[in-house]
Amino acid sequence: MDFDFSVITEHWRFLASGVGVTLLLAVLSGAASLAAGFVVALLRLYGPRWLRPAIVFYIDSMRAIPVLVVLVWTFFALPIVAGITMPPFFAALLALTVHLAAYAAEIVRAGIESVRPGQTRASRALGMSPAQILRRIVLPQALVRMLPAFGSLLSVTIKDTAIASVIAVTEFMRQSETVAGQSFQPIEVYTFAMLVYFVILFPVTRGVERVYRRVAHLGRS
Amino acid sequence: MTFDWSVVWQHREALAVGTGTTILLTVVTMLIAVPCGIVVAVLRLYAWTPVRAVATAYVELFRNLPLILVVYWAFYVLPILTGLGMPPLATGLAALALNVTAYNAETFRAGINSIRRGQVEAAMALGMSRVQALRRVVVPQATRRILPVLASTWVSLFKDTSLVSVIAVTELAYVAMQIRAQSYRVLEMLTAMAAIYWLLGYPQAKLVDWIQRRFAVTE
Repeated sequence: MDFDFSVITEHWRFLASGVGVTLLLAVLSGAASLAAGFVVALLRLYGPRWLRPAIVFYIDSMRAIPVLVVLVWTFFALPIVAGITMPPFFAALLALTVHLAAYAAEIVRAGIESVRPGQTRASRALGMSPAQILRRIVLPQALVRMLPAFGSLLSVTIKDTAIASVIAVTEFMRQSETVAGQSFQPIEVYTFAMLVYFVILFPVTRGVERVYRRVAHLGRS
Repeated sequence: MTFDWSVVWQHREALAVGTGTTILLTVVTMLIAVPCGIVVAVLRLYAWTPVRAVATAYVELFRNLPLILVVYWAFYVLPILTGLGMPPLATGLAALALNVTAYNAETFRAGINSIRRGQVEAAMALGMSRVQALRRVVVPQATRRILPVLASTWVSLFKDTSLVSVIAVTELAYVAMQIRAQSYRVLEMLTAMAAIYWLLGYPQAKLVDWIQRRFAVTE
């Protein structure tokens, strides 16, 4: 068995552009699903009653369907229904956001519900409005408690961007497949890809743990 | 825009076989990954330091890799490492098992660690041996905390089996996408695929919620 890792140095520019797309897709879909998750969770908790079954249905459906299926459906089937064409990157961004927002919403809900109801009642007794209670009392504690779960969601997001290779988004996984296929050196290329993903993901996991340990006391009550 | 949903019914047998393979992959992977996960967790907790380091490295590596990459890697590297030509199903199974074992090992380790040391010390003060203390005191309590996590790993695994379609394992996603390519009924086949996953996955997600409520730990 001879390994020749020069294939990596030969194609480094091509591979590096893939890493860039991976990070961009992860950051954008992470931010979008975070924002959407907050909206969905707040609607579920405080929105009109008739909306609740629809939200629960959406969240549980996303927990039941593989992200690959959501990606493929968004890229191939949605344009037929909606009559629009989307470049792969936007289809991936949309699909990942729709999928991950459901998980983000569950994290937000669990965080908010973890703040004891006695605190809400006490604030109401002090004359605060529901919006004030949420902003001043509940969210400051809940946000800190959500942090570890959001950390693992971020690492899931980065991992899920690799699945976007299936719809030809030119992120790192896809670029690696291309190089592996053209050079006939899949072992070197995929082993290198493992290293790259690990180097991206490991600090994220560890970094979030670190930050959380530092601020955990702020979430205690 | 005309839709022809009969294409789904025409291919019902292929879809049923694909669904069977998806379920088979989920069950067999879990049957491998639970005992292996226990072994890795025990190695990480109690083994000789170098062995412990290897177990930790394995868990950290596979928890920090996208599964789709592990699938490709297994497809190209395993035949060379083992010198055997492996069918795609076995390769897909190996990739899934490597991934889920790492997650399960972490689950078991966290479950055991969640039982306060004082309890083992108290058990030993009452005259139990370390093994007895583990078996009688730690394991029964840890099980209640581990079970809900295993249940959600199960649902993730069920969904993740769709990723082995990239190496042509004929499970549900692969079969549906093949039929889509042959029949050009893109919307119909992809919607049917999503619907089948939904029908199978939705009750599982609800069951996980129930298990988590049922086993909620209050100390």
